[in-house]
Amino acid sequence: MAVYKRTYRGYSGALTNPAWRFLVLQRYAFKAVFRSRFLLIGYVGCFIAPLLCLCVLYLNQNASVLSMAGEKPGFIKIDAAWFQNLLSFQGILAGLLTAFVGPTLVAPDLANGALPMYLSRPFSRAEYILGKGMVLGSLIGSITLAPLLICFIVQSSLVGFNWFTKNSYLGTGIVLSSLLLMAVLILLGLAMSAFVRWRLVAGALILGVFAAGKGFGAVINAVMRNGAGYYFDIQYLLSTAAASLFGHSADDDPISPLNAWIAIIVFCSLLLLLINRKLRVCEVAG
Amino acid sequence: MTQPVIELAGLHVRIGKREILRGLNLELRGLTVGLLGPNGAGKSTLINTLLGFWKPTQGTARVLGYDVRTDARQIRAQIGYMPENDSFISDMAAISYVRMAAELSGLPAEAALERAHEALFYVGLGEARYRKLGAYSLGMKQMAKLAQAIVHGPKLVILDEPTNGLDPQARLRMIRLIQEMRALGTMHLVICSHLLRDIEETCEEAVILKAGQIVHYSNLEEERASNRRFIEIETEGDDGTFADAIERLGCACAVTTPGRIKTVLPEGIEVRDIYRLAADRDVQLRRLNFRRDSLEDIFLKAMA
Repeated sequence: MAVYKRTYRGYSGALTNPAWRFLVLQRYAFKAVFRSRFLLIGYVGCFIAPLLCLCVLYLNQNASVLSMAGEKPGFIKIDAAWFQNLLSFQGILAGLLTAFVGPTLVAPDLANGALPMYLSRPFSRAEYILGKGMVLGSLIGSITLAPLLICFIVQSSLVGFNWFTKNSYLGTGIVLSSLLLMAVLILLGLAMSAFVRWRLVAGALILGVFAAGKGFGAVINAVMRNGAGYYFDIQYLLSTAAASLFGHSADDDPISPLNAWIAIIVFCSLLLLLINRKLRVCEVAG
Repeated sequence: MTQPVIELAGLHVRIGKREILRGLNLELRGLTVGLLGPNGAGKSTLINTLLGFWKPTQGTARVLGYDVRTDARQIRAQIGYMPENDSFISDMAAISYVRMAAELSGLPAEAALERAHEALFYVGLGEARYRKLGAYSLGMKQMAKLAQAIVHGPKLVILDEPTNGLDPQARLRMIRLIQEMRALGTMHLVICSHLLRDIEETCEEAVILKAGQIVHYSNLEEERASNRRFIEIETEGDDGTFADAIERLGCACAVTTPGRIKTVLPEGIEVRDIYRLAADRDVQLRRLNFRRDSLEDIFLKAMA
């Protein structure tokens, strides 16, 4: 390292590919996120349920163990509902993780006025959002998409190729549902982090969107008795949309999968609008 | 002729319903350019427009030959920007902050780390580079902002109020650094400041903005050169004929009050001729100053 050269010199070396430069932000944000031991422990804890599920999948096909309990292989039915339940549980953990991690991403940059530093470089707002979003995306993906896919692959390898071909739609459902969950949580995390500069309040707001939406929806349902309140319940909308992707929507659902999808798109658009409004270089003295 | 660093042609910028910049026309080629003006003159808006944060509503602005409207990314790749306000992540060490800035400008991780060390040593923060930015003093924060602005080796560095809030010692250090960067001749500097002295000490050209318009452009180097011929003299023992004697040498001369003479030396006449004349006439020269038309004078005239 040429630290002895205490004079200024220009740079004429190679440059990195601009298309992947957003990953720089992700790398630095990861370092900051995992400085918290509490968060690290919480993150590791998110893998307990998938590990237990993997054990269940193994034992469910282990004839010698099942024979001790007087059961046959395939005793537990592994179907769309099983995967969706696992995704719902992991989704709750992903929501909590978003509430902890999300506020640490954008809020400190806004509080410290760091946006001009980022955006005065060959680096756009879209790349900034992508870089910060990737932090949440990779964390959420690692506790939802990855474990569920591993469970699906393990189940396929334990039961056989026939099960895989017959249930390949489950793989598609897992990928699409996880991506939907990731998209909603990323946007929610970034929007709340941009909206409120105090981390604690931003974290509470993220959880509040789910809780308040559920409560408000229940009140509307009780008053209007037409199921309109479900449009405010993000968790319900997500599980309805996921059910349609897993191919087991119930006909008597108060809102149809199509309406759930439309409501989610509207919700995401509002979050995007909020992010676009808040993430600006506000250096106007004029 | 060299390519202009900044080229404005009928530049109008409107933010909301307010027109902030009104038809700016300018070509700047110097190594260091000072941007002056009272609050609300449009300095920050001009800088933000050059950085591509605001789009011109009319006219064009080109930086290093690139159009701010269409080539903002290319411009930003060659610019280093030191914002006026705090612009950092307080729980980040200075070395990480400057390294990240370099990586965002496209430097590979290893080169970015090397240059971050160099830049921090260059601005005098070498020993404090592993400390968190939040624990820095105001002067150190300013230096860290300068380090992130130059770490990637830009061709143009925009410094917005670089000496804002600095104590005299820190200010002097910042001014020396800017002068050193100018002396290297490898980068252009645009310095936006309220402090006329800072601009006077560091810049070759000065642009004065008022109410979104350029009210004065001054080539400080040329003015300094022309001022070298303008002399103010204070005498003792003059019987009133000394001024006439100076005029007979061929100098334009004016007596403001008895014993105080202002004169402009034409080509071929030097100061020693004045001394000789005073010695011949037994006149004491109590004071002999080269008059400097200070930037303050220029600024006040422009604001009038």
